[in-house]
Amino acid sequence: MMAARNNEAATSDAGQIAEMRRGRSSVSAALARLSHYVRSNSRYYAIWSLITLGYVGTFLAVPLLTGRVVEAITDQQPADAIVRLSLILAGVGVLGGILRYYSRVLVFNAARTIEYQIRADLFAHLQRLPQSFYFGWRTGDLMSRCVNDLNSVRMLLGPGLLSVVQTPILYIGALAVMFYMDWQLALLVLVPYPLFILLARAFGKSMYRWSIAVQEGLADLSNQLQETISGIAVVKTYAMEGVTRMRFGKANDALFRRHLKLVRISGAMPAITGLLPSMGMLIILWVGGSRILDGRMTTGDFFTFAMLIYQLTFPTFIMGWVFSLIQRGSAAMQRVDEVLATEPSIADRPDAVDLDDMRGEIEFRHLTFSYPGPVREPALCDITLTVPSGSTLGIVGPVGAGKSTLASVIPRLYEVEDGQLFIDGVDVNRLKILGLRSNIAMVPQDSFLFSMTLAENVAYGLPETDPKQVAVAVERAQLAKDLAELPHGLATVVGERGVMLSGGQRQRAALARALALDPRILILDDTLSSVDAATEQAIQRSLDEVFAGRTVVCISHRIGSVRDCDQIIVLEDGRISEQGTHAELLLAGGFYARTAREQALEEELDGIGEVA
Amino acid sequence: MSADSLHDEEELGKAVDRRMLARLWPYVRPYSWLFVADLLLFVPLFALELAPGWIIKHGLDSVFGGLESTDTAAQTLAIADFAGTWASSWLEPPGLFSALGWLALLYGVVSLALAGLQFVHMYMSAWLGQLAMRDLRTSVFDHIQKLHLGFFDRYPVGRLVTRATNDVENVAEMFSAGLVALVIDLVKMVGYAAILFAISWKLSLFTFAVVPLLAVAAVIFRLKVREAFRETRLRIARINAQIQETITGMKVVQLFTREDRNFSDFDEMNALNRDAWHRSNRWDGRLFSVVEVAQNLTVAIILGYGYGLAAIGTFYLFIDYMRRFFMPLRDLSAKYSVMQSSMAGAERIFELLDTEPAIVDRAAGADPIRAGSDARGTVVFDNVWFAYNSDATAGTPEWILQDLNFRVEPGEKVAFVGATGAGKTSLIKLLARLYEPQRGHIVLDGNLLADLPQTEIRRRVATVLQDVFLFSGTIEENIALGRDDLSMEQIVAAAKTVEAHAFIERLPDGYQTELRERGSNLSVGQRQLLSFARAVAHGADILVLDEATSSIDTETEVVIQRAVQKLMQGRTAIAIAHRLSTIQDMDRIYVLHKGRIQESGTHDELLALEGFYYRLYRLQYRAEQVRIQATA
Repeated sequence: MMAARNNEAATSDAGQIAEMRRGRSSVSAALARLSHYVRSNSRYYAIWSLITLGYVGTFLAVPLLTGRVVEAITDQQPADAIVRLSLILAGVGVLGGILRYYSRVLVFNAARTIEYQIRADLFAHLQRLPQSFYFGWRTGDLMSRCVNDLNSVRMLLGPGLLSVVQTPILYIGALAVMFYMDWQLALLVLVPYPLFILLARAFGKSMYRWSIAVQEGLADLSNQLQETISGIAVVKTYAMEGVTRMRFGKANDALFRRHLKLVRISGAMPAITGLLPSMGMLIILWVGGSRILDGRMTTGDFFTFAMLIYQLTFPTFIMGWVFSLIQRGSAAMQRVDEVLATEPSIADRPDAVDLDDMRGEIEFRHLTFSYPGPVREPALCDITLTVPSGSTLGIVGPVGAGKSTLASVIPRLYEVEDGQLFIDGVDVNRLKILGLRSNIAMVPQDSFLFSMTLAENVAYGLPETDPKQVAVAVERAQLAKDLAELPHGLATVVGERGVMLSGGQRQRAALARALALDPRILILDDTLSSVDAATEQAIQRSLDEVFAGRTVVCISHRIGSVRDCDQIIVLEDGRISEQGTHAELLLAGGFYARTAREQALEEELDGIGEVA
Repeated sequence: MSADSLHDEEELGKAVDRRMLARLWPYVRPYSWLFVADLLLFVPLFALELAPGWIIKHGLDSVFGGLESTDTAAQTLAIADFAGTWASSWLEPPGLFSALGWLALLYGVVSLALAGLQFVHMYMSAWLGQLAMRDLRTSVFDHIQKLHLGFFDRYPVGRLVTRATNDVENVAEMFSAGLVALVIDLVKMVGYAAILFAISWKLSLFTFAVVPLLAVAAVIFRLKVREAFRETRLRIARINAQIQETITGMKVVQLFTREDRNFSDFDEMNALNRDAWHRSNRWDGRLFSVVEVAQNLTVAIILGYGYGLAAIGTFYLFIDYMRRFFMPLRDLSAKYSVMQSSMAGAERIFELLDTEPAIVDRAAGADPIRAGSDARGTVVFDNVWFAYNSDATAGTPEWILQDLNFRVEPGEKVAFVGATGAGKTSLIKLLARLYEPQRGHIVLDGNLLADLPQTEIRRRVATVLQDVFLFSGTIEENIALGRDDLSMEQIVAAAKTVEAHAFIERLPDGYQTELRERGSNLSVGQRQLLSFARAVAHGADILVLDEATSSIDTETEVVIQRAVQKLMQGRTAIAIAHRLSTIQDMDRIYVLHKGRIQESGTHDELLALEGFYYRLYRLQYRAEQVRIQATA
């Protein structure tokens, strides 16, 4: 509990940002969206409602016909009359089964179809949302909406809707029949029901409370475990195993007790609901029995009553469950709606244009940029800079100075205000996103690879996996020599679930992916940090060759990577603090010069090691 | 839901895996009395389920007297006759009651007893399950703690947590809703059939005529449902994996304008999943409907063909029992999938439990700990080679430490310096036996490190690791780390020694201040002082100190330097130093580079050498200057 609360406190800042970014959603908005999906499948639902009425007919006919057959038997009617009635009963029974089939399948399949539609819409929508959106949301949270919440919505539309529509009709029908047959007995049979509804609600509430308690117990246990594992080195060096075990044992016992409490309630529920038809039968036996003795009721009617009561058992039995389905489902739909209601802030404007042939000139005019969220220092402040077409720009600076942000606004990963950033003299906000991004290749810092083959990863931005283009890109990124080490060469599945590539290999794969695009502007965001110096030089040489005449923006913490750039800027606290060529900056004696000196010394040290 | 649990879902195997059940049994065995009691409960439970039908039959036949009994002795087996007579004797009203009143009373009592017993049964099953699961969780936790550190480098934390939580919950489901219920349902079905045959075998023959048909249909449909179900599980796992991957790599997706192609790939899978579910729903619906049709048909058969064979009450009994006979068939597929995920959960748990801890104490009683040939506080590294990856992959090990030889005498203070990646921290982990070297020996007080029980090593060596890990709990608990024998005075004394006392006193609740998650309410320097206090409080002969690299303000640094000096007093000290200024008065300094000792000697000796240390010192000195300028 303690740890869970702390967690909240720690992430409250992120939470605030998230709140601000999230689309507002209310239950009514969520249900409006849901009903839009339902309407788009109205054909299914129309047929379904007809079939449901038919099914209710057979549901009532079976007990009625049973009563008639029993009456025929007790009246000692001729055999063929009994057989004829039985055949009708059999026919209605078969028809009921068939109608039941369609009733279930139609509504369940419609629910699956809507699940499919919402999932597709979610996926498409997520792809449209800008990077700033992903700041406020953790992946786990988004996943939970795409997986768990969608599941709850589907349960609401499937078993939930089926019961909510069907059960009242069944009840009304059954009551009508009973009242028609014997209204006094019908009233008596009804006596326990209001009581049960109250009981069921009370149980539902405390069941909800205890299942939350169990969830919290589980979370507590997870926290204990997580903490122990994260601190396993301390646990071991201080021989704390006994203590952590005791702590875990406490959480474990608490969870155990909560589970049992929950069972006490969830176990009582079916036992008590099971009593409902029993009480009905008791009344039928007692009151109905005395009426038979008085000759005011037939044995056939007795059978009809008994069977109606039995048939209502199951729909009644699951009502409590259905209520929780509805509750959970509508809350889940609201959470799904929060994502879908978020407007993508980076989108093509109506008057957006495409550059016919991008030259690759980048111009920043007094660009100031802040990340969304509570007021804080701007990440970039008053940046004015021109990168002429075909030139190279080097960016260095301490961690958190805004280097990556500066690179990310160029392909519009973040939105900048109008009039601050121009490509070929056109405001980026007036460019079509597709055209802009397909002319820019950026190699982000984290070199994320997808769980596909290496070849598919390299060809990620190409319309198809062309082996020739892949081979060229792999060669230029100096990845070709590594292929022999991989189990299946270019066909090796890499990424999250594939073969582990070394840090350097991943970076070079990400570089090859960018090179394969053959872009007008290439942005390297500290791309080669895990690549050894010799390979980096080889890459530089091949880049110089290929990208002669293209615009290159190169962020690096290694002076060696930027020294040959046409111009170099030093970013500190979101501002350009130094600007010039390598030689100029060395003379200036600022951050750049200091860093260059330190790195020269480090290299010298490494050199000694090599010799020794 | 975490990514790995999604991936894990992919493998769904058998619903009843005897191997897994055998492995779960030891967790149930301690509570076998409960297990047996729960099973025994089945007998009265079944009797109580049979009773209501019998009471109504009696009412219809004997009390209301619709028709005289036409049950012919020829159709009723002798045993049923006997049991029937015995049961009916209960149904005769004692003096005070009318026949009908007595039956109604009995019916009410039986219903209440049934409800009560059902509850007891359910509670006992869940109790048993939760007891077993509590023990299983404890075993998982104990096992995780026993595993060596290298294991955690490969196994994500989230996945381990899933083992002890979600997976165990899944297994628990088996007790409350799965296996036991499945077996009981089966026994009940056989029971109902047997009783109906005993009462009237002829009527039963007619009635059960639909059952073989139903059984064939059920088997076929179940297979189809299972196929579709398996397909959907696979597809949904891949769909969710793609969503997750796309969200994680969204930047790349958008940079490379891959949205449309991604969507069409996704849509294809999504649609296949929908279609598989539609198929699954249809087969499941068929199964459901066939049961319903069979139920309705049996009523028609009982009445249409049975009249003249039995009394009207027997018809009622047949209809009632047949309903109960069919009931379990409805939620068969639900139970099946519960079982399947239980078994999959068990499989994953036991896979973890089967991972052998790589570092274990020597078998008890092998060799008592000898006094050791060296005095307390001696550390010797003898030809030590170490690589992290030697056991994971075949390839050539990447040696982190190569041929390390040195000896530290009691009370001596030595330091290791070197660039990042030189192997300094690994050396400490070896000394604490968090990892084991591939070649060579480490000798502690004349004993091979591998011969000492792990608790003994922890007692003799106090290790201060680079990243200070604080547990949720109070400051006091974080210094004592579970040592009950440490008095409050000792803890305060330890804190005073390292000058942590002052800041602790300033905290709102002093030593009882609750630390927020990982001590986020403390500064980096304060956290380091706390970790020093730990080491002092635990009072070992040998202190191993991995100095933190993270920069702190100069003022705190001075305090920390003083604390380090105090910490080392009167102990053998091995320090990993990142700042050369701190180690100038060490007895000996070893310069590590690329896993080897390059130079050794005192600070002055090494400077005079003008070798590696000399340059390192120059570099650090400059960096230090830069830092001081920057802060100034």
